[in-house]
Amino acid sequence: MKKKIWITLLLLLMGSGVILAGIQRLLIPKYMGQVVEGAFIHEYYQEDTPHDVLFLGDCEVYENISPVTLWREYGITSYIRGSAQQLIAQSYYLLEDTLRYETPKAVVFNVSAMQQYEQENETYNRMTMDGMKWSSSKWNAIRATAMEDEHMIEYIFPLLRFHSRFKELEADDLTYYFSPGKVSHNGYYMRADVRPAGDFPTERRRADYSFDPRAWEYLERMRLLCEEKGITLVLMKAPSLYPTWYEQWDSQIAAYAQEKGLVYINGISRIEDIGIDFSQDTYDGGLHMNVYGAEKLSRYFGSILQEIPGVEDRRNDKALAAVWEEKGQFYDTKKAEQEAEFAELGYISQFYSGE
Amino acid sequence: MEELIEILEEINPDVDYASCTSLVDDGVFTSFELVVLVARIGEEFGVTIPPAQIVPENFNSAASIYQMIEKLEED
Amino acid sequence: MLLVSYEFAAFLILLLAVYYLVPVRFRWMLLLAASYLFYLTGGMFYVLYPLITTVTTWFLARRIGAVTRESKAYIKAQGMDREQKKEYNRQVKKRQCRLMQLGLVLNFGILAVLKYANFVLENMGILLGAAGIEGVVPSVGWILPLGISYYTFQSMGYLIDVYYRKYEPEENLAKFALFVSFFPQVTAGPISRFDQLKEQLFAPHEWDFCQVKRGAERMLWGYFKKLVIADRIGPAVAMIIIDPGTYDGIYVFLGMVGYTIWMYADFAGGIDIVIGAAQMFGIRLPENFDRPFFSKSLGEFWRRWHMSLMLWLREYIFFPVSMSRFTRRMSELVQKHFGKKAGMKVPVYVGSIVVWLTAGIWHGASWRFVAWGMANCIVMLISQELVGCYRAYHKKFAFTNHPRYRYFEIVRTFLLFACLEMFEYYSFKNVFVMFGNLVTTASLSQLWDGRFVQLGLDAADCGIAAFGILLMFVVSLSQRSGSVREKLERYSLPVQYAAFFGMFLIVLVAGVYGHGYDASQFVYNQF
Repeated sequence: MKKKIWITLLLLLMGSGVILAGIQRLLIPKYMGQVVEGAFIHEYYQEDTPHDVLFLGDCEVYENISPVTLWREYGITSYIRGSAQQLIAQSYYLLEDTLRYETPKAVVFNVSAMQQYEQENETYNRMTMDGMKWSSSKWNAIRATAMEDEHMIEYIFPLLRFHSRFKELEADDLTYYFSPGKVSHNGYYMRADVRPAGDFPTERRRADYSFDPRAWEYLERMRLLCEEKGITLVLMKAPSLYPTWYEQWDSQIAAYAQEKGLVYINGISRIEDIGIDFSQDTYDGGLHMNVYGAEKLSRYFGSILQEIPGVEDRRNDKALAAVWEEKGQFYDTKKAEQEAEFAELGYISQFYSGE
Repeated sequence: MEELIEILEEINPDVDYASCTSLVDDGVFTSFELVVLVARIGEEFGVTIPPAQIVPENFNSAASIYQMIEKLEED
Repeated sequence: MLLVSYEFAAFLILLLAVYYLVPVRFRWMLLLAASYLFYLTGGMFYVLYPLITTVTTWFLARRIGAVTRESKAYIKAQGMDREQKKEYNRQVKKRQCRLMQLGLVLNFGILAVLKYANFVLENMGILLGAAGIEGVVPSVGWILPLGISYYTFQSMGYLIDVYYRKYEPEENLAKFALFVSFFPQVTAGPISRFDQLKEQLFAPHEWDFCQVKRGAERMLWGYFKKLVIADRIGPAVAMIIIDPGTYDGIYVFLGMVGYTIWMYADFAGGIDIVIGAAQMFGIRLPENFDRPFFSKSLGEFWRRWHMSLMLWLREYIFFPVSMSRFTRRMSELVQKHFGKKAGMKVPVYVGSIVVWLTAGIWHGASWRFVAWGMANCIVMLISQELVGCYRAYHKKFAFTNHPRYRYFEIVRTFLLFACLEMFEYYSFKNVFVMFGNLVTTASLSQLWDGRFVQLGLDAADCGIAAFGILLMFVVSLSQRSGSVREKLERYSLPVQYAAFFGMFLIVLVAGVYGHGYDASQFVYNQF
């Protein structure tokens, strides 16, 4: 009799677990609509071919580099692991996470994250870390970057964070219940709309140009990890007009790169070489590049990347070529769709919230 | 005892004091009534009921009230 | 540590596991350690306050007990006659009284200084300001130690009881410390009596699945009240009551009713969590609410709402004050000048005023609470004066005995209480202004004039709040014929579990906690 009660209880508990998991899956955001950045980090795990180059950073990588262009122009296989306001600690742990699956030849880290060590918006943390698969890296990433009112348990059971979404469920929650859709192009966020750069607030002087010591620490850890794995670390700063990348910051990074023997490419000083036209190559007035800017930057950047030992032209590899052919088709289709829509409407409806 | 019943009826005439044994528990006597009752007993019987004695058991029936008075008179 | 927090949930689960693993005789000690750990999470320094109260109260009560024993032995040894004995006992009482007073002054003193210093300073500032002296009175930034009002009242009740010789003082300091700081009740009561709680705290508690289950159910019900109802309507209610300029007319009524329901859901929900948590350890705490909204009069209401505080006030303030020598003298004086009838009323009036004044400032250090206490006092005294009239009225009109008349009385009591609550959140003048405004300008159409939308409750929130309040009402109705949890136990285990799990899901999903979800926050608008 006693035994029967325990078995019943066990069955009931298991049933509740299934129901809870089901509800959780329903309620967590799918990031398939206007906001897609939250889906990027997880999309990586669908990849089944290796990459020679891994990009790490925030919007300055995932909106500015097009892996498809790198492939088409140079035969370089690459993936971007970046998301909204991705902090340097998160980039470091994403590197750790990626190394569980593959060891790229080169890692490119965009240094804009050096300027801000701490998260300022909890939702960006969620968009970055919810997509990571569970591992000690994810745990440590959360420990390092969670804001004061965030709790580990809300990452372990995201239902606790997103429970109140029951009021805002939409069709996407059912459409993508079992498997998410594909929203990025190897981590690249495509925008084919154009909004020319306008005027930016004049650059303000700062009292202190030093980076947070913790940011330095993670940069150093990233370098050491790359060294240990025989990976070439490249530092980049994307060529964006705003927010300002101060010369004082630039010289600190340049000094660090020189000291450690790293390549540092500041895109801002090479805007003309790259050929960026800010009246054509940005979709939001100069903050981020659109697909035209990203392709130009990739073309420029690829010529530097191909010099790195181990980064090779892999277009002759039949299997890889087939995979990338498919990626290229998806890329072209999406680009053509967006271009057509932009030409007709003047905006892209998926990302348009009626401003 | 008769004296006591008189006082009790002064306070609330609609109760059968001979039989009721839950005056406090049923809310017939709230703290208001109890305070008046204690004051009246003090006047009529010349005993001071200390606050410590004001517990439901002492006031639930006319008999228990009377018992308490007798006990206090002894001390 | 808040009762509604992940930390508390983890703390409780961990503690439960350890509690039922250690030998029975160590269990109360574990609770003591856990209680202090619970208190420590609020800051190292604050443990000092309950510690001072514990040690001083324990020591003084023990002294009082020792004096009683010594004096009894002395009387026996000396073979005193009745008169001598009386005289000697009087002296002993005096000595004991002094010990008690020392404890009261010290502990209520700490409470008064911490809780009311700013209130006093502020009013001194106003007085001095009126005299033309400004800016000399500082204010203090003291933070109140967790639950200080509750544990101070509970400890002082104990000291007075020992003085009254209701029971023997506790010899074991550790045991007494647990009585003062038992973690579920230290934050929000109920204020317990030592002789009742002692049996619960120190009795051996074996593992009892039924108790643990019922405790968990009670807690879940508390979380439902708090998270699904109180925290949902709370912000909207707050908006209405702090902005009488915008929210007038029908909103005064909405604020009144909303505030009352919010307060009940919040407070009674918190108490459910406390009592449920204690029950999981096999400890039964006294009830604090007895379905108060089913009361037929305000007096009855106050016997069924925050019962442990009202009992405390009755036992340690109302009776002692109304029976004090001072009150008796006043009563005699009034009798002499205004007749017997008036004189007999004196104790009730003096006692009531002191009780409601205490109740008022107990709730908060501000004149609003004093006004609220006095308003309640006046209503209570008036209805006491009219007792005779009511009796006559009920006798004369047969319909008042009809069961349906009870509904009227219940609604009337609810509204009366809700009206009196206005003194808590409106300024004194505004209570009358807003009440007048409600009576003269309220119309239902005001609900659709855009102000309701501002409150931040969408259709789903309103629906859930309505469902929650309805469920609370239905459960209260069902409780008339006994515990709902016991009724549930008539069903098979899977059914019981399904009910529990269903409720858990409701709290989990529809509860208001965490960051909330606003899709627009996720739009990446940073550079």
